[in-house]
Amino acid sequence: MPLILPLLLAVVLFCIGVYGVLARRNAITLLMSFELMLNAVNLNLIAFDAWRVDGLATGQTLAVFVITLAAAEIGLGLAIVLLLFRGHGHVDADAARDLAEQERQETPELQEKGAAT
Amino acid sequence: MTTALFAVAGAVAVVAAVLVVTSRRIVHAALWLVVALGAVAGCFGALHAEFVALVQILVYVGAIVVLVLFALMLTRAPTNPLPNLTTGRSPFAAVVAGVLAVLLGTGVVIAFGNEKVDPVPAGSATDVGTAIFKTWVLPFEVLSVLLLAALIGAIALSQRKKAKED
Amino acid sequence: MIATAWRVAGVGFSLLVVLAAGLLYGVSPDQAAFLNSSVGDLTIGFAVRTDDLTVLMLAVVGVIATCVQVYSLGYLHQRAASYHALVTLFTAAMVTVVISDSLFFLLIGWEVMGACSYLLIGHYWERRDARSGAIKAFLMTRLGDVGFLFGIFVLGLGAGTFRISELDPAAISPGLLTGGTLLLLVGVVGKSAQVPLQTWLPDAMPGPSPVSALIHAATMVAAGVFLIARLYDVFSASQTTMTVLAVVACVTMLFAALCAMAAVEVKRVLAWSTVSQLAIMFSALSLGTTAGRHAALFHLVTHAAFKGLLFLCAGVLLHQVGSAAFVVLRRYTRRGRLRKALRVTFVTMTIGLASLAGVPGFAGFFSKDTVIEAAWHHARDGSVVGWIVLVSVCLTAAFTAFYCMRMWLWVFFRTPALAGALGAFEDENATADLDEPDTSKLRDAPWVMLAPLVLLAFAAIALGYVDGVHLDWVIASVSTVLVLLGALPAYSLWSRGADPRPVLLEREFGVGTAYHVMFVVPVQLLAKLTVAGDRDVIGGYVRGAGRAGTLASQGFRKLQTGNVQTYLTAAVVGVVALAVLAGVIGS
Repeated sequence: MPLILPLLLAVVLFCIGVYGVLARRNAITLLMSFELMLNAVNLNLIAFDAWRVDGLATGQTLAVFVITLAAAEIGLGLAIVLLLFRGHGHVDADAARDLAEQERQETPELQEKGAAT
Repeated sequence: MTTALFAVAGAVAVVAAVLVVTSRRIVHAALWLVVALGAVAGCFGALHAEFVALVQILVYVGAIVVLVLFALMLTRAPTNPLPNLTTGRSPFAAVVAGVLAVLLGTGVVIAFGNEKVDPVPAGSATDVGTAIFKTWVLPFEVLSVLLLAALIGAIALSQRKKAKED
Repeated sequence: MIATAWRVAGVGFSLLVVLAAGLLYGVSPDQAAFLNSSVGDLTIGFAVRTDDLTVLMLAVVGVIATCVQVYSLGYLHQRAASYHALVTLFTAAMVTVVISDSLFFLLIGWEVMGACSYLLIGHYWERRDARSGAIKAFLMTRLGDVGFLFGIFVLGLGAGTFRISELDPAAISPGLLTGGTLLLLVGVVGKSAQVPLQTWLPDAMPGPSPVSALIHAATMVAAGVFLIARLYDVFSASQTTMTVLAVVACVTMLFAALCAMAAVEVKRVLAWSTVSQLAIMFSALSLGTTAGRHAALFHLVTHAAFKGLLFLCAGVLLHQVGSAAFVVLRRYTRRGRLRKALRVTFVTMTIGLASLAGVPGFAGFFSKDTVIEAAWHHARDGSVVGWIVLVSVCLTAAFTAFYCMRMWLWVFFRTPALAGALGAFEDENATADLDEPDTSKLRDAPWVMLAPLVLLAFAAIALGYVDGVHLDWVIASVSTVLVLLGALPAYSLWSRGADPRPVLLEREFGVGTAYHVMFVVPVQLLAKLTVAGDRDVIGGYVRGAGRAGTLASQGFRKLQTGNVQTYLTAAVVGVVALAVLAGVIGS
């Protein structure tokens, strides 16, 4: 079996995950896309472990660790999503813009000051 | 034999993954995720990482997807098709992802284009367990602490702020 | 308290100088070098010497400084501490110049005098004219000092030594000698206010009168004469330099005397007369003979006495009347009060003016005759320079008598033709302002101020006889006739109540205006240009940077949409771009 096969599969899965993260609206689907990306990574780890057999099962061990991490991550992520839902009544990542720059009233004054100095 | 098996599993995984990120029904997407993760587990099996494949099915399909479904339920996700499940940037996102795929694919082909892999049966629970508890025991312990932290964090986040209301 | 301490220190220091002069009198010349350091083949360091010239100058400086310090006790009450300290430093600097045997040591004293003159002329720094006069004095003497410094370099390197006593004109190549002495001459011209650097001295008049007395009589301007007398061997070895000096001196003495004839302020008349008298000394020096040097030094000493006296008298007028302008003094004189109220001042000032004019029997008469005699002897030997000097000095003698007489009469005497006298010094439209001043309160100055006057008045007569009276009767009678020729027109004009002042003379030949147009205006334009460049060009960059930052921040703020996915998209695009870039560069 050519090594390139699992690697290309990983690439495709990863990029599908990237697309999902960038394009999906629902926060939970974002998390799903994260899982796809993590799986791509795991696939890489397993493939390279099968490629260079080192007797320590490094790639497989690391893959298990990554799965554990993914579990932890999804737990936290879902908690955050629930928090978002509780606060806003929706889980739309596109509509959650609390971090946006707010138009403030004192902005013109600041500009004047900046110009004067 | 393994190559054919892998190719079939990989194709299923790709198709399922695409459906995950394009499906208009959000619950369907979650279910397609199950298919995709299962197919990946099949790929693991084809690469003779049987233990990891089992863990994949157990943890991902058994735990994580269930968790996602619960979350969907809790956030009152509609089951009917939604017209605007993707943002307006999705074409651009597709282009970006495509370019990234071409880039990574090219890199991978250039780097490992001629390498062959000959999976040997070294993925049994015995082998992986021995490696974890002999060689990788310290990272394993650290990971357990991290899991604990994530647990506490999740509890802290999802707790209702009663103290404030008092 | 501090002021008192400085007063005591100042008077004490000047008395110390007098004492030193007395102790050194008759002691055989000696020199001592100290703190020497070798630079290559040259030795640079400090050295002092005592000889006749040193003792003479020490005596002059000491006596004048003592008079000025004592006089200032009564004259000056404003910022007395700094004033007395600076006068003391000024005196010390002149003493340094006088006793120095090293050109660099001399330069130190020379420069300290320049700084002190700046500070003292600007003593009343609240007044605009005092400030500008001080800056003018500093800049113009500094201009000369540049030449002086390079003159020292040229002479010292040419001779291989910076010791004055070791400077041997024969050891210096003629070109270097001429160049060096000409450069030194630039410094001398600046310091002694000769043409073309003469304008600072009359403009230094807003300074306190005692300072003017010190500067004009003993220290600063006399330093130029002293320097040439000190380096007389070197200077007289260069014919070119001596000719230049003669031309400068002759032009200056006539120029300054003419300016003095038209000045309408006592101190300004005296300032121009100082320039003129200094030029007489320089002309005597430019003869290049021993008799010339002797005449110059003799005139320096007598001039120190009567010019110091005259400035102190002018100071009394300023102190008691409040102004030394003719127009103000005339208002007092019209009642005949000034002469009676200020009796001591009147007498001493008369003595001083007589001595300045060269009335027979006074010190100035003898010293001027010595100069004329030296010039005559030199001219008789067939020297063109001698003839030029002789004619110039004779003309100047007549001019001097004119302006002395004019000042004496206009300041102290009622005009016989009263009606005509009214407008003599008033502007056309100022006749309305004819309030008669309250003359009843006019008193003579306190004795602490009058005592120096009396002492100097005595000196202004007696110094003429110190050198031993040896009169060439022909020259004496000629100069007496010249004095009469100068004084009679002045009397005649005064008695008719007229004081014609040619515009050219009143404007001092337009030199000040010309310098203003040639130097000040361009510099001010450049300064404005610099300010504009700083504000509009360099400041424009600064403001532009600030404005660009503000605009950029306003633009970048729009990017903060708050949408996490937008941020992520940008990040991924960035990663892709970087990867492509790395691939392109790497391949």
